[in-house]
Amino acid sequence: MKTINIFALFTMVIAGFFLSSCTKDDPDPLPETTEKYVLITLADRVSGTKAGFISAFDEYPTGTVSNATSGSLEGQGMGGWRVYENYIFKMFRTSDYATGIEKIEITKDGTVSSGQFIASKDAAAAAKYFGTGNLVIQNQTSGFYWDAAEPTKIQKFNPATMANTGSLDLSAAVQERGEGVDAITFRSVGQKLLAIKGGKLFANITYATSPVNQIGFFDDYFPDVYIAVIDIATGNYEKTIKIEDTGSIAYINENHMYDFDTNGDLYIVTQGRSALGGKSKIVRIKANATDIDSSWELKFSDFRATDNGKFVGVFAKNGRLILTLNTETLTGGGAGNINSADIWKFYSLDVSDASKTFREITGVPVGTNPGAAMAAVEVDGKILLRGSTKAGENGYYEYNAGTNSATLSFSVNVGGGVSGFHKIEIE
Amino acid sequence: MVSFILSILHFALLSAGLLQENTQINGTTRDETGNVLTEVSIYLSSTATAEDGTPLLTRQVKSDREGAFRFAGLPFGKYTLTASHMGYQDQRFDILLDTQHPSATIQLEMAAENRQIQDVIIFGGTRTRQAREQAVRAVVIDVAKAAEQPTTLAELMNRSTGIRMRQSGGLGNAVDISINGFQGNSVQYFKDGIPLEYLGGGYGLNNVPINLLERVEVYKGVVPVSLGGDALGGAVNLVTKTQQHARLNASYEIASFNTHIGQLSAYQTIGSNYFVGLDAFYNYSDNDYMADVQVVDENANPVPVTVPLFHNGYKQHFVEVSGGIKNTLWADELRFSLAQYRIDRESQHPALMTNAYGALMTHNKGLVPSLRYQKKWLDQRLGLDQFVSYSTIERSRIDTVMGTYDWYGNFKPGSSMGESPRRSLARIDFDNIISRTNIYYRLHTRHKLEANLVINHNNRIGSDPYGLRFSGTDIDVLSKEATFHKTISGLTWESNWLNNRLINQATFKYFHFMARGINGFLANATDLDQFTETSNHNFGLGNAVKYVINHRSFIRASVELTNRLPREAELFGDSDTRAPNFQLEPERSFNVNLGYSYDTDRLHFEAGTFYRKTKGMILLVPVQPPFAQYQNLDSIRGYGFDLDLNYRFAKNWTFQGNVTWQDNRMVDIGEGLYKWIEGTRLRNTPYFFSNAGVAGQFSDLFGSGDAFKTYLHWNYIREFYLNHIPRDKEPQGFLGLFGKSGVAVTNLIPDQHLLNVGFNYYLAHQPITLGFEVKNVTDTKLYDYYKIQRPGRSLHLKLNYSLNK
Repeated sequence: MKTINIFALFTMVIAGFFLSSCTKDDPDPLPETTEKYVLITLADRVSGTKAGFISAFDEYPTGTVSNATSGSLEGQGMGGWRVYENYIFKMFRTSDYATGIEKIEITKDGTVSSGQFIASKDAAAAAKYFGTGNLVIQNQTSGFYWDAAEPTKIQKFNPATMANTGSLDLSAAVQERGEGVDAITFRSVGQKLLAIKGGKLFANITYATSPVNQIGFFDDYFPDVYIAVIDIATGNYEKTIKIEDTGSIAYINENHMYDFDTNGDLYIVTQGRSALGGKSKIVRIKANATDIDSSWELKFSDFRATDNGKFVGVFAKNGRLILTLNTETLTGGGAGNINSADIWKFYSLDVSDASKTFREITGVPVGTNPGAAMAAVEVDGKILLRGSTKAGENGYYEYNAGTNSATLSFSVNVGGGVSGFHKIEIE
Repeated sequence: MVSFILSILHFALLSAGLLQENTQINGTTRDETGNVLTEVSIYLSSTATAEDGTPLLTRQVKSDREGAFRFAGLPFGKYTLTASHMGYQDQRFDILLDTQHPSATIQLEMAAENRQIQDVIIFGGTRTRQAREQAVRAVVIDVAKAAEQPTTLAELMNRSTGIRMRQSGGLGNAVDISINGFQGNSVQYFKDGIPLEYLGGGYGLNNVPINLLERVEVYKGVVPVSLGGDALGGAVNLVTKTQQHARLNASYEIASFNTHIGQLSAYQTIGSNYFVGLDAFYNYSDNDYMADVQVVDENANPVPVTVPLFHNGYKQHFVEVSGGIKNTLWADELRFSLAQYRIDRESQHPALMTNAYGALMTHNKGLVPSLRYQKKWLDQRLGLDQFVSYSTIERSRIDTVMGTYDWYGNFKPGSSMGESPRRSLARIDFDNIISRTNIYYRLHTRHKLEANLVINHNNRIGSDPYGLRFSGTDIDVLSKEATFHKTISGLTWESNWLNNRLINQATFKYFHFMARGINGFLANATDLDQFTETSNHNFGLGNAVKYVINHRSFIRASVELTNRLPREAELFGDSDTRAPNFQLEPERSFNVNLGYSYDTDRLHFEAGTFYRKTKGMILLVPVQPPFAQYQNLDSIRGYGFDLDLNYRFAKNWTFQGNVTWQDNRMVDIGEGLYKWIEGTRLRNTPYFFSNAGVAGQFSDLFGSGDAFKTYLHWNYIREFYLNHIPRDKEPQGFLGLFGKSGVAVTNLIPDQHLLNVGFNYYLAHQPITLGFEVKNVTDTKLYDYYKIQRPGRSLHLKLNYSLNK
């Protein structure tokens, strides 16, 4: 016993010496940060559950890389993601394709794992009505999402703790039109569009007519698309604005269906009357406005008069839009080209160009539908365009705004078609 | 079709008239328990001899699959009849034929040479053994030997080498089989050689009690012509018990989860030429076992809970009555059967256990009359087996509830109909005609020709007031009739060489199908009066050879190029989210099998290996959301082996074990984007599994004349993946059996161990047997399919009553 006590005393003295010397003499250490370049690929051909991989690279990828490495995460719902600063979210749970919000966790050693999940309050409703987990982040601790369990409410959540923090009831806004119309089978708010600009939350209002299969998508009762405007600070509904004579604002998944230009202008895509297009357009809400800018809009028929396609995403920077447009008339079904053929080509368009000239971006291959992928992203100041073809070209291409061309930045040979790329910092 | 059948019958009657004889000796061969013995050698010799002492007349036949034999056209006189069969004592009878007694009927009861061995070892000199030892390799599950056990057919099959049964839940849930990596529609099912489709799901691997079966033959690789299927590399033939004498068998099982399984089988002969029979069973289970699911807390975060399943029940009955004529001059047997069944199934969850359903129901009922005619002529050198059935089957799916359920069974009212994404009040009617004609002719003692023709005609029409409509109309997609017709014919030549040590079977098959319906997918350019018609045909070739090395061992090999025709549902879709595809082509596969078998009194050892190359696998492919469509997509190349050992290591104890390893991999990936998939394992397919078990048998344990059997079975399945994993990231080590994937795989079916123990007790001098079994003794979480949990520990008690006359 005596021996032990002496040994304990000696240990405490030594430990105290080192600990006290640390606190007195060393400056406060800066938190270490590690950069990770995160890549997502979609490998699914047959399961229909968006199987794929996510990997984190220590450095910006060069040459040809595999996206199924020792730290990668394999799972379902790898159709894409929503990113906010160092947060990465998916709208599908990796383990079972359930819709909701899943946070992706990445450790310093590059190990990717699925983190906390915000689920629908009614999983059966979420399976029936697509869109649960459609989200927008306000800041590190505040965000909004839609849950099919309460379709006329917008849910609030804390992205840091991944907890639901309440909801905004917009039933009254939804009921402003179409009340008592039997043909309307489903009503929702925020199912497909949630965007934050200038302290306002913009949420689309759906008036669906289909009783089954993708309810709320390409089955609008009204020819106009309605968007509710909510003041975030007060939580008060302010008004409803509309995009005239178009069609569904679908889809809601991870491709950029809206984007903010450098000057704060918001561009919103509507895909049109059907999955195959028709009356698809892009509209703008100016940076300091809350109404649709009636002075400018871009129709698919401006690109091709036959109006045989649709916009499927938008990327805006310095007054220029980058778009992917179908080179052939869209066709559906098993032999259709919409999702499986190399028909989607990149174009740029300057918003200030009154002639609305679509300029083909050279150097990036005509590829498959970027529908559930990030077609254009900005990482390390580079604008990267997704180039993925059935033949096997698969990677991101760096865009040169001066020459309106792109060159291969890196390609991916294992793990499926590139679906998104983002940089984060880990503390 | 009807005229064709009548023509066959007419031919049979005509033939019988031409061949009528005044004298005959006929009979049947059975073992001591009343089971029919086939291929028993029956030798007949006259007692009158020639000058050199040899009999004036000698003839030899073998008993057929019904155990029957017959000699006709015999002169009056005295005869000696000798019956011999491997594993049984010879039987000998003296017979006199004269004007008073122009015919004689002999019921042979063959006694086993060593009863103890026959009881303990499941392979013996029986039909089961013969099926196991044919040139075409078959894994034969001796179901009759396990009839007293409270065991399901799927469980029995899972203990066999090279076979992996997968079931999505408890009693009654769908069962799929994986044979050399072939699964789903690549494997076909038969009942007594007839394609099982005619029974519409009322009789299958997931519901038929084992008491009704004698054995199950699982063909790996070449499928015999007599089965008449378009299986790609595997076939399962459920062989029912053959009845010759009055017999009554009944069983009742009660088990955990409010499970009740009853079965009644009866057979009665009326005079020597008429018979009636009954086969019936009833299955019921709440399937309310505990399952790990997730519920949502106040933060909308999922929280794991363990709850009893509350809407997972299964109820079914099946009744088949039959009657007919047998042992007449114009028919060995003419059997008319009428089967009726109904299945009511509660649906607890969608494809994965992500959310609960509380009201969704599916129903399936059918009425199936059938006729079977069998006749042999020319001292059994020529035989005809004709079967025809007409099935009317009704399937319905009901999802009309206004609201949703949680995992606790609480109902939350809602404003829209249907708790699943597919509200439904669908009723679909199927009319199905199946004709199977099998003819053989023995050209010579060493050569036999066999021809087989299966014609399958299927009509589908239905309605669903809440289902899909053709675009721009109010016309129900289901209301447009869809027709599917397929013909599968085959010819085999079996020959024996080298004094019966070498048996060769060469086969040729021809496949044809025709489909007619409306390609209504999204109503693209669809004229509702314009039906689409498509057809395709193909050939198949195969050869199987068996060489007997000595009386203990033999080797066999088979090679086959075969086809699998698209199924009706693959062509037409389901008028919902599965879109039609009239451009589907048959899958093709080239299969090679090689096997070796060794037998002693105490030991049975068997080894098999296979190679396959399959092209154009028909897979469900997502197309335009939310639709998916069957397409010819992948090609597979695979090889593997299995080992099977059965060893009696003590007087009363036997060990049985097997291991199966398969290496099926993707090849010929066309699209450059997916080239990395080349060489990866076939997804969602088990590649290593094994079984081990011990069984003991004791007589006079509690009293004179009783018997007691006990057994323990362990089953192991190696983890496998739902999606493709790069080959260099697969688990390393010997055969990939150790460690984990180099990628953090989320979607996998993990390593699993299943342990079952049980016993049977045979009451002394009573036709009653008691069986008790504990399944999943360790209460392990079991999954055959991703995220679909199977039952935990359960107790089963079974009572059998069997009377034979």
